[in-house]
Amino acid sequence: MIAGPILLLLIPLVMAGVTYLLLRWASLSSLLAVGTALALGFAVITLPMDRPVSLFPFLGEGREIALGETVRFFGRELVLEQGDRMAMAFLFFTSAAIFLLAWRFAPHSLLTPIGLGLLSLLSGALLIQPLIYAALLIEIAAALSIFGLQPEGQLPTRGGMRYLTFTTLALPGLLVTHWLLDLYTLTPDNTGLLNAATSLLVLSFALLLGVVPFHTWVPAMASDGVPLASTFVLTVGNGAVWFMLLDFLETYPWLSRHPLFSSVVLIAGTSMVIVGGLLAPAQRRLGSLMGYAVLADNGATLIALGMSNKLGLALALLSLWVRPASLILMATGLSGLRAQSGGNDSFDALWGLGWKAPWSAAALIMGGVSVAGLPVSAGFVWRWALYRTLAPFNPGTALLVLLASVGVIIGLWRGLFALLTRPRSAEDRSVTPPLSSEGWLTGAVVLVAIAICVGIGLFPQTFAPLTIQAAETYTFFSP
Amino acid sequence: MPTLVDLLTRVSFLAAMPAVAGIFVTAGILVISREWRLNVLALTVQYFFVVLLLTRLIRLLEVAAVKGLIGWMICMVFYLTERQASELERAPDVENAPASKRKRRWFISARVSFNLLAGLLIAVVAYTAALRIPLPEVPPDISLACYLMAGFGLLMIGLNETPMQVGFGLLTLLSGFDLFYVAAVPSLAVAGLLGGASFLIALAIAYLRTAQVTAAGATGERERP
Repeated sequence: MIAGPILLLLIPLVMAGVTYLLLRWASLSSLLAVGTALALGFAVITLPMDRPVSLFPFLGEGREIALGETVRFFGRELVLEQGDRMAMAFLFFTSAAIFLLAWRFAPHSLLTPIGLGLLSLLSGALLIQPLIYAALLIEIAAALSIFGLQPEGQLPTRGGMRYLTFTTLALPGLLVTHWLLDLYTLTPDNTGLLNAATSLLVLSFALLLGVVPFHTWVPAMASDGVPLASTFVLTVGNGAVWFMLLDFLETYPWLSRHPLFSSVVLIAGTSMVIVGGLLAPAQRRLGSLMGYAVLADNGATLIALGMSNKLGLALALLSLWVRPASLILMATGLSGLRAQSGGNDSFDALWGLGWKAPWSAAALIMGGVSVAGLPVSAGFVWRWALYRTLAPFNPGTALLVLLASVGVIIGLWRGLFALLTRPRSAEDRSVTPPLSSEGWLTGAVVLVAIAICVGIGLFPQTFAPLTIQAAETYTFFSP
Repeated sequence: MPTLVDLLTRVSFLAAMPAVAGIFVTAGILVISREWRLNVLALTVQYFFVVLLLTRLIRLLEVAAVKGLIGWMICMVFYLTERQASELERAPDVENAPASKRKRRWFISARVSFNLLAGLLIAVVAYTAALRIPLPEVPPDISLACYLMAGFGLLMIGLNETPMQVGFGLLTLLSGFDLFYVAAVPSLAVAGLLGGASFLIALAIAYLRTAQVTAAGATGERERP
């Protein structure tokens, strides 16, 4: 019998090697990565936890897979619990979508092999017990992600370096917290240990989630990293950090019952929303605009968690699920436009490029609209629910989240203006630019991605029950 | 032939204040200097002193030796990267030597004096912290070494945006933390993963440094008529 958790670690790792060897054949490599991520995602949500199943009966008996079985890996336990299934499915499906778009927009890049390697590490971070090892695996994943983030032939990615720096700075706090909590179980009278652990935990997660003033890595990464690789870090990597935070809250329930928990999380989220919303319209580059839009969106997720109830938790989970649909589209558009402008994404360099690369422009605008949470987009689903939940109790915060969306839209409007301004001839007359330089296949892939984004926005009932179900698996907000 | 563990036992008399002083000097060099040969040498010596201090905290000397080996492998990665980078950078430097050197001398002198002052302030803060808030589970001198490395590491990260200097900062910070954590949680798995993380950070930094040189070379070629 094969223990499922070990397969979730080993299969992506092996496939990372295979896709790296096949990198010359971009389509094969990308589609193999998509297939692997999709297969693992479906396996996680469909295989039963309580009994082994035989996936390949022709291999004979003893080749059964037991998804729920605990396995020891280098002396540590790997456990797939009910709550982890949704988290793992999120990691795999989001990765599959990124790999699919990387096939058209970042072929031959290291994103697919590195992404699969990261999937293995981040899956390990979610499965391994105790949580101390999760922190170490996330640190290793941050170092590995540098190889995917660095664009070829360009200066070193500042964003990648800052991301690595902030993750490294968060590591000591998480490790020491674990040690302090172990000490506290031996000396429960020493509440100083508990206070020190709480402070360190807050600081570490602030660094990992890019809470203001530790947010500088978020816009920098979006600005100078490979766009789809940045999105991988900001959705899959950041998602793993979020699920680790929820695991911490589940393991140490006194954290969420701390009298300051709600205020601290709300202040952190609001500060991100304010900074993101204020700085997004001031950007003159699409990459940094994307970074500040994500910052504001992540801040809104923290605000949802700060409501300290089941509904807030469900909203936070819903935001994590729909964010990739928005962000992947935006990064796809950014990739296509950068490819057309020689790597430069400043508004001046993008002048009139929307006519030359219409699919990329459409993806960018639709993704941006969704990150901002405008209607008929995936982002609207959770933002609308957040506004409705927040408004009666905390109208000021709801208004700030709404204004942050306006800020992102203003930035996007400026980008759209630059993209759609028709090039002028020597006689200063508007000219019709040449036809699209993007192929039909690229157009089809973008169209499917846009359709998914709009589909989620139009039919939120497909997603919402899943997140409510996932929120039920966490008990820390139970009365 | 003596093993690495035997050698460590022989020089164990240094594993107290002399090692802390060594760490202070080597970390100080990393903060101030931009000469890659000196920096790689300083990091190599720093790992030696860290290993010496680790021998007082770890019962299994082999673990300390392995940590030292990982550190020296990191130095080797940095050395090879910088050597390659310096060869690639040499050509444009020779062309612009006189004007740029005059400028650089002024630039370096202002930067060095600022870094020196900042380094001294950090050392004072680390000394005060070691006296007032000594770290649990470690002797006072090792507590001072931890604070010094954490402080100097943060200073390097804060003052620089070049991959190598940031890398030196991150690794110095991690070494300082490792020195404390190995006493608090003596786990082989944690030690292994921390070593792995350090090595991967070094590889990522080397990759970024290579990208920096390649991009600079490409820009230079484009600018040349």
